[in-house]
Amino acid sequence: MLQVHNLIAGYGPLTALNDVSLSLQAGARLGVFGHNGAGKTTLLRCIMGAVRPVSGRVEVDSNDTCAATVADNVRRGIAFVPQGHNVFPNLSVEQNLRIAGLLFDPSFVSQVYELFPVLSERRQQRAGSMSGGEQQMLALGMALMTRPKWLLLDEPSTGLAPVIVRNVMRRLVDINERMGVGLIVVEQNVPATLKVVQQVVILRSGQVAFAGSAAELAGNTDLWKWF
Amino acid sequence: MEYVYGIIIIVGLYVVLATSFNLIIGYGGLVSIAHPVFFALGAYTSAVLSRDFGVPVLLAMFAGMVVAVVASVALTLPTLRVSGDYLLIASIGFQLGLLEVIKNLRFTGGPGGFTNIPPFLIRDFGRESYVILVLAVTIAVVLLVRLIARSDYGRAMSAMRDDEQAFASVGRDAMWMKIVIFGLGSGIAGFAGALYAHYYRFITPEQFEILQSAAILTMVVVGGVRTTWGPVVGALLLQALPQALTFLHLPPSVLGPIQGLLFTGLVLVFMFVRPQGLVPAENVWRDRTPRSRTGEGG
Repeated sequence: MLQVHNLIAGYGPLTALNDVSLSLQAGARLGVFGHNGAGKTTLLRCIMGAVRPVSGRVEVDSNDTCAATVADNVRRGIAFVPQGHNVFPNLSVEQNLRIAGLLFDPSFVSQVYELFPVLSERRQQRAGSMSGGEQQMLALGMALMTRPKWLLLDEPSTGLAPVIVRNVMRRLVDINERMGVGLIVVEQNVPATLKVVQQVVILRSGQVAFAGSAAELAGNTDLWKWF
Repeated sequence: MEYVYGIIIIVGLYVVLATSFNLIIGYGGLVSIAHPVFFALGAYTSAVLSRDFGVPVLLAMFAGMVVAVVASVALTLPTLRVSGDYLLIASIGFQLGLLEVIKNLRFTGGPGGFTNIPPFLIRDFGRESYVILVLAVTIAVVLLVRLIARSDYGRAMSAMRDDEQAFASVGRDAMWMKIVIFGLGSGIAGFAGALYAHYYRFITPEQFEILQSAAILTMVVVGGVRTTWGPVVGALLLQALPQALTFLHLPPSVLGPIQGLLFTGLVLVFMFVRPQGLVPAENVWRDRTPRSRTGEGG
């Protein structure tokens, strides 16, 4: 279970998150939407331990992730695919996956190849020479190599063609259904994300403006003004 | 024969210095020029402890290594939190500052240097024993760095160099890895410094100044960054050439400038003609056996 309790966080005098709370069951799929600067990425970074909150806490299976480092949280089962900077461009696909799995189970790479056949076909290719969509698949594969319980994604569709976005989103559902990995997806592409997630949160100026089901948001276009 | 032994020892020590510097700047991607100051810390610690406090030389040598490691952590902890450029700036300040401190302390001998350092092994077993010791340390250091570079840790280092943020997102702590790499490289330099001090038995701050940084950097660049044999070749070449020039029997007023021109010329030639150095960088992934794991070669 992942619980965010009254989280307040910011950068110097700027408050990015103001009393944000949410609760997710294991294996849940959450979409986080909002304008630029609404606090979406800060929420992910707080959960990962990359930003220390002013107050509040994030608990994953009773562990306070805000008090730990990013590396500790990854080892505890929280994987993060940041926007950009998510693969080692000078290493091959296989080397990327092996590096990601060094602390975990390197043999899991076969299941990653099964989930992403394109990675298996290109295992010798330098990651930096692959297309944006393929790099995103590789980043997802690397995150899976850490055997996560939760997968946090920061705008995974950025810079991708619509057909590739659909492919990435389908893979996210596969990951959730096959492996039971919970998803928290921060996105600007709301229509594509609503096909993947079950729950949604809309952030507005660091506060939760709406929390409900994906179906509710899909049916209420009045809410769409907030992102 | 003593002359030959002296050359072997100084070449061996420079191979150790260049190899340990390659670990920091090449494999670790940490841009620092303060390597000679860790060499100095090892030399001075071992010399002071053994001469003035009666500590057995071998123990004093290891103490020199420990002091170099502690000093490296003191340098890296505050600077690595920001970015690589800060480490470079801090390393320049650290080197200049620490040498000034050494110059102004009475117990280090000040600018005049520290003399009468107790010898090690030579009195009991002859000069050959020290040559064997230095060669053994040199081989051990070269093999250790090679082993690290080709291990999973070495591959993780190459990934960290590629992208720190991606490195953190696979559960690795880049900061900790940098401190370990820097500490290990500096500790090795400290031990080399101790070996230097107990052979030459006289050290001055001038021996560890910024020209030494340039010399060690040139050895690594000319030999080949991120290679096992590059720093070895670089150290051999840049130590052997000046020695060879002495056989020309030129007056010192001519010999000095010729050596300077030679070093500068070599760096320029390598920058334009062969920037990868004499020995090309090796693939640290080569020896792995991914076939059994993935069903295909890696």
